[in-house]
Amino acid sequence: MSKGIPYDEALKRYQHDKEHTLPEMNEILRDYHPDYYPDSLVKLQVGINKGDLCHRQLAEMLQADARIDEADLAGTSITETNVLVIGGGGAGSAAALTAARNGASVILATKLRLGDSNTVMAEGGIQASIESGDTPQAHYDDTLKAGHNKANKKLVARMVMDAPDVIRWLIQEGMQFDQNEFGDLLTRRPGGASANRIVYYRDYTGLEMMRVLRESVSNSNIEVWDHSPVVELLSSETGHCAGAVIYSVEERTYKMIKAQAVILATGGIGRMHINGFPTTNHFGATGDGLILAYRLGAKLRDLDSFQYHPTGVAYPSHLAGSLITEGVRSAGVQLLNALGERFVDELKPRDYISAAILRECAEGRGVVVDDQTVGVWLDTPNMELREPGLMKQRFPKLFHLAKRGNLDPTKKPILVYPALHYQNGGVVIDENGHSTIPGLYCVGEVSGGIHGRNRIMGNALLEIISFGRRAGLQAAQNLSARGHKKSGIEHLTKLRRELSRANMPMDVKSPMLFPACANFELE
Amino acid sequence: MSEKLVNVTINGKKISAPASLSAVQAFWHAGYTRVEGIGCMEGVCGSCRVMVRRVNKKEVRMQLGCQTFIEEGMQIIFLAFPAPTHHAYQLSDMKNSWDVHSQFHKTFPETIDCRVCGGCTQSCPKDIEVQRGVELAAKGKFREAGELFIECVMCNLCMTACPEHIAPNHVGLFCRRVMAYFHLRPANLITRLEELRQGEMDVRTDN
Ligand SMILES: Cc1cc2nc3c(=O)[nH]c(=O)nc-3n(C[C@H](O)[C@H](O)[C@H](O)COP(=O)(O)OP(=O)(O)OC[C@H]3O[C@@H](n4cnc5c(N)ncnc54)[C@H](O)[C@@H]3O)c2cc1C
Ligand code: SF4
Ligand code: SF4
Ligand code: FES
Repeated sequence: MSKGIPYDEALKRYQHDKEHTLPEMNEILRDYHPDYYPDSLVKLQVGINKGDLCHRQLAEMLQADARIDEADLAGTSITETNVLVIGGGGAGSAAALTAARNGASVILATKLRLGDSNTVMAEGGIQASIESGDTPQAHYDDTLKAGHNKANKKLVARMVMDAPDVIRWLIQEGMQFDQNEFGDLLTRRPGGASANRIVYYRDYTGLEMMRVLRESVSNSNIEVWDHSPVVELLSSETGHCAGAVIYSVEERTYKMIKAQAVILATGGIGRMHINGFPTTNHFGATGDGLILAYRLGAKLRDLDSFQYHPTGVAYPSHLAGSLITEGVRSAGVQLLNALGERFVDELKPRDYISAAILRECAEGRGVVVDDQTVGVWLDTPNMELREPGLMKQRFPKLFHLAKRGNLDPTKKPILVYPALHYQNGGVVIDENGHSTIPGLYCVGEVSGGIHGRNRIMGNALLEIISFGRRAGLQAAQNLSARGHKKSGIEHLTKLRRELSRANMPMDVKSPMLFPACANFELE
Repeated sequence: MSEKLVNVTINGKKISAPASLSAVQAFWHAGYTRVEGIGCMEGVCGSCRVMVRRVNKKEVRMQLGCQTFIEEGMQIIFLAFPAPTHHAYQLSDMKNSWDVHSQFHKTFPETIDCRVCGGCTQSCPKDIEVQRGVELAAKGKFREAGELFIECVMCNLCMTACPEHIAPNHVGLFCRRVMAYFHLRPANLITRLEELRQGEMDVRTDN
């Protein structure tokens, strides 16, 4: 890591008004993007995706033993509901609200508190083609292209057609968006897109969304179970998903929830720290949903593809991984290496930009601090110079962050480095969020196929509401008169057999539930 | 960089940890378990409520634990999160914006009892003028009141501090929500919704 140019020296070379030329951008992904690190991938040996490539760290969790067996369930309390929603972020809330409003009884069980999620942290905004020069078709084309044409076209088409109505729905829940003086929604351009398409509320889009959705959920008849991580799903005699086993952190005991439909909305994977990168994600983003769904036999996809956000804070190190929204680059702020040179078009897709930053650092043009931290400059003072005061007004959260790090973004550039941000792949779903297992829906970041191998900004917040509502409606409309005859954890017997046949170490347990730093043990 | 260790007390436990750590991180650093009251670790979810007393200071402050960096001699106690309030309402129950004022006083009848004691404002980790927000809302100035709560993370500390059970943050959120529900009508969005309704915009997936 110590290769590069020392901080103080680099700061001297930095000029906010220098002109730069950009080098060509090819091969850079394959050479520098972490998805292509040698030895980081393995082939899965157990389960429906057997033979598929998967990141080593995720594979270890997918092929680990379950945390419970039959004995743990003896005498546990059982609660019944029509629809069980797992996860209290935006996807879970939208699904729960829609299911409840369509007549279903709903329990929403979540690991932390309702709203403690990646959703509340989102800053930049949400995509919807609403400007006159823009179309759903352009939104579709941009999404596919940024995802390297690997996305499921049907899902993308649904999502972009839903987008304007998603914004309307959010407004009707009481969410505000930034407007111009005539009341039109303001838009900005996401990296990798052909038009201005992001609508937003300051750099608090997720906070505004989540506090409104949380209030809606608490004002409904949805039963919310906080601090109730799901440790295993339940299966029925016919192979349906039939509920879940939760662990009550408060009562330190397992409980069963039986349901006719389950909507899994457990979000992302950042706290697995794939490839050792710092992360922008919340405390509960440990990839549990992937493991739970896989054990039941649900098909997964793109398990080797993750998004590294180009602008995580690199220094000071206690802020490492904290996100600086892409909105800052959309507003014209540039990236510079330690020589003060611009080295990439800042509005290219994220995977390119992150790879470009990693290249600068690997080739000695990064800024080095304390011999262990390296990064490149985010040239915020230049924006201040061009439009004094605007940055503070548009990006209040950035200024709070800077204050915590004793930085003044109007005077000094910020040192940034890529941070693990998003799980591109996930559970295979259809247009209503239904997985390949009957009765199991998966929505939000836990699902896969919408973003291909790279997501553009603003499509995640869109996806969670679009597919959250779809799954909620579908689940509520397809309730059978009688529930499942039997529900239990028989599927684990098969899992354990397969694990031992493949010689997997049985001492590793999953899902992870909480990051190791929190010193949490079950019971 | 070798970091200076500082000594603090968290939930009654004596801990020494590097000064760059937050209250939450220091507790973990010392090997203790804590998973409740932790969310974003970025100061936006409002879960990590703590009470803090600094050396030689009488005053006890309410803060967010993930944003509180430890200092020598600090005493920190994690606070549990209060149960949701009883202030229930449905936006759709209000027929039009003329009804908002009366619905507000039906849902939040306690606001007229506000003692203007400032307890809510003092306890807010986001420096929001909470008391003023409550006063404005009670007068029906919903737009103005709502604007004050832009950075509210719903930590409920103001609610905990309020002797009249007013739930000032929910008052603020009510104000914000009714403004969007009744008054946010963007022409660019509405035009596009109409075009979609007319079937003028389809997506071709074949190419
Ligand atoms: C810092 C940051 C900024 C972002 N900015 C943007 C942006 O500007 N635009 C955009 O479109 N996207 C953005 N994203 C991505 C986007 O916010 C997320 O992808 C999206 O909000 C995910 O929503 P979700 O509901 O699927 O998951 P989450 O919101 O993460 O919710 C998942 C929920 O499931 C719970 N959970 C997890 N495991 C379990 C379990 N075992 N049992 C029970 N519950 C469980 C979690 O505690 C959490 O409540 C950003 C992400 C981050 C981290
Ligand atoms: S207004 Fe109340 S809930 Fe909102 S941040 Fe301030 S103290 Fe917390
Ligand atoms: S704490 Fe309660 S009573 Fe005191 S000023 Fe605030 S809202 Fe009014
Ligand atoms: S953990 Fe979210 S505000 Fe502290």
